[in-house]
Amino acid sequence: MTKKYLRMTLNERAQHLNLAINFTILVITGFALKYPEAFWVSPITDVPLGMTFRGFLHRLCGVATVTLGGYHILYLIFTERGRGIIKDMIPGLKDAKDLWETLKNNFFINRPAKMIKMPRFNFREKLEYLGLIWGTIVMTVTGFILWFKTEWLMYFPMWTYDVARAIHFYEAILATLTIIVWHLYAVVWNPDVYPMSWAWITGNLTEHEMELEHGLELEKIKAAEKGKLMEFGEAAEVGGGRVYPIHREREEKGFSIRRLYGTVKDLNETIKNWKGE
Amino acid sequence: MKWRARGSKVWVVLWGIIPLFLFLGLTAGVAWSDNSLCLGCHQDESLKKDARGKSISLFVSEAGFKNSIHGKLSCSNCHTRIKDDAHAEGGKKAADKSVNCGACHKEADKEYQQGLHAKMIMKGTERAANCFDCHGKHNILPSKNPKSMTHVSNIARTCNRCHSNVAFVKHHALGAAIPGEEFKKSVHGKTGEVTCTSCHGSHSLRSLIDPKSTIFRSNIPQTCGSCHPDITKQFIESIHGELAARGRADSPTCTTCHGIHGIKAKVDPDSPVNERRIALTTCPQCHAAERISKEYGITKGYVKSYRDSFHGLSYRGGDTYSANCASCHGIHDIQPSSDPKSMIHKDNLQKTCGNCHPGASENFAKGKMHTVASITGEDFGEKVVGWVRIVYIILIVMVIGGLTFFNFTDWLRKTIDHRP
Repeated sequence: MTKKYLRMTLNERAQHLNLAINFTILVITGFALKYPEAFWVSPITDVPLGMTFRGFLHRLCGVATVTLGGYHILYLIFTERGRGIIKDMIPGLKDAKDLWETLKNNFFINRPAKMIKMPRFNFREKLEYLGLIWGTIVMTVTGFILWFKTEWLMYFPMWTYDVARAIHFYEAILATLTIIVWHLYAVVWNPDVYPMSWAWITGNLTEHEMELEHGLELEKIKAAEKGKLMEFGEAAEVGGGRVYPIHREREEKGFSIRRLYGTVKDLNETIKNWKGE
Repeated sequence: MKWRARGSKVWVVLWGIIPLFLFLGLTAGVAWSDNSLCLGCHQDESLKKDARGKSISLFVSEAGFKNSIHGKLSCSNCHTRIKDDAHAEGGKKAADKSVNCGACHKEADKEYQQGLHAKMIMKGTERAANCFDCHGKHNILPSKNPKSMTHVSNIARTCNRCHSNVAFVKHHALGAAIPGEEFKKSVHGKTGEVTCTSCHGSHSLRSLIDPKSTIFRSNIPQTCGSCHPDITKQFIESIHGELAARGRADSPTCTTCHGIHGIKAKVDPDSPVNERRIALTTCPQCHAAERISKEYGITKGYVKSYRDSFHGLSYRGGDTYSANCASCHGIHDIQPSSDPKSMIHKDNLQKTCGNCHPGASENFAKGKMHTVASITGEDFGEKVVGWVRIVYIILIVMVIGGLTFFNFTDWLRKTIDHRP
């Protein structure tokens, strides 16, 4: 079995799935309003009250996405891994250089193509993540203006509403196209990962994938592991380096939220601490 | 002088007696009989004559005539002068001239003579309705009798004898749709109380272009108002009603929105005034029309901006909670925004918006409502939205274009490098 490297914890994968579902529903229900006569909207418009339900669903998923965003902020701030993500997500000169080298590779200026060692989050991912944050903020603000127009118009003139509407629409186009062009290329059509990068389901990347996309991070991990092995006795790694946390919740009988939470947390911890065998 | 004076008494007597004999001789056969002389021949169902190459039945049902409102009259009351070869041979009568109902029914005849059917006959149209076409011939019943051709329940059928005939309708250019068929499915047709004559009039039925006609453009509100007086009152005070009264051919009357023969109830999805259709077809038929927009200086932007607004978009998708034209502008009482009575007058706008948006603030009533984004727009908001649009389109094209291009080169390079 090839060695695997943790890319997304279960928690992160749940966040990703949550966002993916909400985003898709938002896109469908949103553009269904803008193009009510399009063929793919007929399942909504043919149903009695379809348009009303569409509006409700759009707002519901909007709230869900905003809630998810709030949760994500808390996750970033209050977990060690989250803080690590923030640190690694900050764009730097290295990213510009990586982009430059990639372009040179792609234009066949570097022959043979240069192996670029990229950090934990490469320029491609940073661009997308920061774009996502920007888009979410814009869509949230304009979306809430559109939703609570009566309240908004108590303090602001009518034209601000029209502007919010225009921004909400064009930002939606931008976001949707970005996901289709940028994200889906990176995780689906990219010849390195085709037919799909499985990280969003398994949470892992293979060593080969790590080399291609996150060479610098791979080196770091390997160096750290080496360091760990050198320092005997620092951590007695029982069970082949795996950690099996024990939770009291498990001892409870029957179904309870605490127990379910404990199970999920266990699983999460296990995966997080799994160095791969 | 002497000769005349002498013979004058004889002549007086002769002049008095001769016409009397003549008259008696001519009429005795018919006038003094109890119609049996006529019916003696005309009871025969196979009695026919040839006229203009067509075979015409001369049969008269005695029972039908007896039961008719004219049953007590004699044949000669109506057939005053019959003279043709057949009757001359039998020495019975003379002259084939049509029966003149107007001799007794003076009022009706006078009205009829001014109506469209009479005019068509004068023009030489063969198939224009005469008295007997609608009332029948020997079997005329009073219109209160349910079996009468002119009873309210039968009038549609009576008119449809000609007006539901496709060839007839086509020939007389009375429109493509068959009025009777349309009317049968209409809300009026289903009541059974309204029929052709309710709107068109009966004897005085006039042409569409006759200004005295009940269906002349500017008379339509009054015609409909005979049953719907409240609505007509609202309508004639509205901007549409005012323009219609001035004879503006473009201005709508009742039929412009409701349809003509096939008027449907508001809840019927086929009705032009159904809430699903008002803003899609009914109002835009004029307010998005090139000619009318030009003539009245109203911009087509109203319809366009509505269609692209939230109200319009949701409405187009089938949302009937979303505002349509009538929600803000009113229905029969539409007024221009300059009129203080108008729902969209700036003093009333807050209330109008508040119908659906409780707690609508003053800002709802401020600024332009039907905005069309454009950097050259009059309204500040229009300009801002126009610029937002341009900036975003440039942004989208550049960003998405750039990303697509980058990905394409990436894909190309990797595909080439991965060649086995």
